Amino acid sequence: MANSNGFDVVQTYRQILGDPDMSTPVATFKALAEFMKHSSASTMSEFMQTLDQASQQIKAAAYAETGSWSKYMRLTHEEPIQYQHKAQVAALAGMDLFLRFVARNSHDILDFETCKQNLIDRSELILQKAAVARDRAAATGAQFIRDNGLVLVHAYSRVLMRLLMIAGKTGKRFRVLVTEGRPTTEGERAVRELTEAGIEAQGVLDSAVAYIMNKVDMVLVGAEGVVENGGVINQIGSYQVALVAKAHGKPLYAVAESYKFVRLFPLSQYDLPTKTPRLLNFADKNLMHPLLSAQTSQRQREESTSSVDLDVDVSLADFVLSNPSVDYTPPEYITLLLTDLGNLTPSGVSDELIKLYL
Amino acid sequence: MSQPQDIPPRGSPRDNPVGSYEEQWLLGNSKQARRTSVAETDDKNRTSQSTATSTGKKGPKQPKPQTGPPNGVPPPKAAQGMTKAERRAIQERQRMEKEARVAAGLPGSAKKAAEQLSNPGASPRPASLASPNPSITSSPSLTKPAVEQVSKKAKAKTVEGVSPWLMHLEIPRKPETSSAGSKGLHPAMVTFGLWISEYKILGSNLRCAAMLETFKQACLSNSFLQSLTVIAQIIKDHRPPEAESFARHIQKHLDPHIAYLLNIRPMSLSMRECIRWIKKEISDIVETNPTLEDEGVRHRLIERIDHFIRDRITLADQLIVKNGLEKIQDGDVVLTYAKSTVVQKLLLEAKANGKQFRVIVVDSRPRLEGKTLLARLVKAGIDCTYVMISALSFVMRDVSKVILGAHALLSNGAMYSRVGTSLVAMSAKDLHIPVIVCCETFKFVNRTQVDSLVLNETADPDELVSTPLGDKNTLVNWKQESNLGVLNLLYDVTPSEYITVVVTEVGLIPCTSAPVIWREYNEELRKRQK
Repeated sequence: MANSNGFDVVQTYRQILGDPDMSTPVATFKALAEFMKHSSASTMSEFMQTLDQASQQIKAAAYAETGSWSKYMRLTHEEPIQYQHKAQVAALAGMDLFLRFVARNSHDILDFETCKQNLIDRSELILQKAAVARDRAAATGAQFIRDNGLVLVHAYSRVLMRLLMIAGKTGKRFRVLVTEGRPTTEGERAVRELTEAGIEAQGVLDSAVAYIMNKVDMVLVGAEGVVENGGVINQIGSYQVALVAKAHGKPLYAVAESYKFVRLFPLSQYDLPTKTPRLLNFADKNLMHPLLSAQTSQRQREESTSSVDLDVDVSLADFVLSNPSVDYTPPEYITLLLTDLGNLTPSGVSDELIKLYL
Repeated sequence: MSQPQDIPPRGSPRDNPVGSYEEQWLLGNSKQARRTSVAETDDKNRTSQSTATSTGKKGPKQPKPQTGPPNGVPPPKAAQGMTKAERRAIQERQRMEKEARVAAGLPGSAKKAAEQLSNPGASPRPASLASPNPSITSSPSLTKPAVEQVSKKAKAKTVEGVSPWLMHLEIPRKPETSSAGSKGLHPAMVTFGLWISEYKILGSNLRCAAMLETFKQACLSNSFLQSLTVIAQIIKDHRPPEAESFARHIQKHLDPHIAYLLNIRPMSLSMRECIRWIKKEISDIVETNPTLEDEGVRHRLIERIDHFIRDRITLADQLIVKNGLEKIQDGDVVLTYAKSTVVQKLLLEAKANGKQFRVIVVDSRPRLEGKTLLARLVKAGIDCTYVMISALSFVMRDVSKVILGAHALLSNGAMYSRVGTSLVAMSAKDLHIPVIVCCETFKFVNRTQVDSLVLNETADPDELVSTPLGDKNTLVNWKQESNLGVLNLLYDVTPSEYITVVVTEVGLIPCTSAPVIWREYNEELRKRQK
């Protein structure tokens, strides 16, 4: 790893992400802020260059990150499989925003030391802002929950959990349906945490979303990234939920901190930057892990299955690794975005981004 | 407001206001009655409009010019589209009200009346050029000859049976080159005018840039790129009379040129935006630096125009191509309609970058602009299919992306573009195919339009009539058919819901953000001013 003054930015990033309550964009902020403090660069251009390199390293790390899918990754041997991880978009959003925010006024001052200090101050500022963003988004969103309502939530999202907890504390009585959220099945965790907090919660199969939609009052989803047209990139299955909600005329609110806004404009599911050639590709079975490749005979497969200590079924791993982990919900399916900037219509996202980037 | 001028000849039977909706719009016969009813409507419109507008445009009609003092308030932007219809309506009424006019002490002929009135109208020249919201035709005195010219032609045209609801639309006309010199027009402007009137310069980018170049020469211009170029030339060559400063005089000097352009072919929305910009630049220069020498002002103005052409058109196109490239992937089947300079650049660049894709060029009569694009693409080795718009639904099912050029992007997110674009976008939307619009931010205009008829331009209907069928063509004598109208519209409006993304030089944005972009740019201007 290239570093500055012996500081390993990727290591720091991973450490920070070790906190289960830490969201990916904020982790990138923190790692980059640390990097700036440790930077040994002596000129402005060198400083910006190394910062840029550091962010590229984080990006690469995020793409190789296994996150909660690590249990499937035991299948891999030496070389890590490149697969689509849902945090990639969030890391991208965090990096872009940080570089933008930090670099915005960096050219006004001539003296390097002052300038560097100024940048470090700015990075502190962005961290402070980020720290309150989730609570703020959750607090705004909590107002939308009605007494005696039935809320459908897709899988697990930190900001969504915060929102439901806040609503629960304010004395609203409501029930929550949580989708299972295959393949990570984090919905289970959400049900557990909600029940512990005294909120009535029930798990729902991903395939049962249409079944229960008629009774639902509102749908809440989180977001890995909010793209330029107000569409949302989120854990796989969100788009499906949104389509069903639309068909039943139920409002769907996406809850997101504004640091997840990202300058992407996907035209379709296949237009996401994190798409890998492996995703649902018939032709490229060879690219798959040796265990899963088409050339592997059934017998070989059995052998290797027995030789490796697996707690996961091979066919399930096949599913997971060759399937997308995020999908893109187009803005027409989203009623409102509940963010720390307030409640935005999807088209309002672009307006905010233009103000920031133009 | 000024009542006397608005007396419609209610006495005569043909001017009876039509009673019902059906009578007004649906009956095919009595054209006379229909036209009059439009004139009536225009009357009402006119009264509701500001007095400032009426002095400028309705001079010929007014028995007493002093009834509408020009407060120096520029006519509202919306009036722009209306004025020609009004002029025509006025002319119509003039004919009918000849007696009334004579009674008011004016000459019987409309032209003489206009001439007589143009002089009083000229004296209170509005200071609108220096105002923050200059309008294109802010000078009543200088547009007057143009008004006359227009109305003369309009009169001739009404004989050809234009539907009443289309009478406000521009009618194509040939520029009068003979009289151009006498108006002190710059030769570059005259050449430019001829070009655009014959559709030799087509496409808003080219038009605007050429306009600015010409303006540079004499300080006047037309089509956007062309217009810009033309303007630049005008400015370059302009020498003010002794007593006046360049900055003050150039504004006056530009006005007849602008009027001339307006007269030849209605200005594109982007050209208007461009002219508004240039007038603002002129007044800015005067305001910010009153002591500047003439040469300095000229130099600065030319520099600004050059920068505008470079930043907002040339470089913008390069950035759009760069941004658009991300959206063309291997295996794509791209459908495009008619011809757009920037779309052509994008497709050629994508090919140069080694992307494997196919292009379907959809074209339409009578202009067949797609052929030029097709020739370039084929030459570059891109696999192409060429179809007429009538085969659209057939080819659409193979398409993975639709890429379109725009003439202007309106504040409500709608796109104003070559007629037929809306149809293409709609059928793409129907099949959930992404519609990508490439549009420079200078074409974003602060105006809202929900249908294609409020503002549009018509071309010569004969273009539609002439077909290879020759004499067998049943439409040959269409002008004699009393119950037939031929409409050759040039533009249409594509609603925002059909547009997936707009590729601009500032990135990919949803079309609903058009007003934000417009505002940002105008705020930038304002800031720079301070």
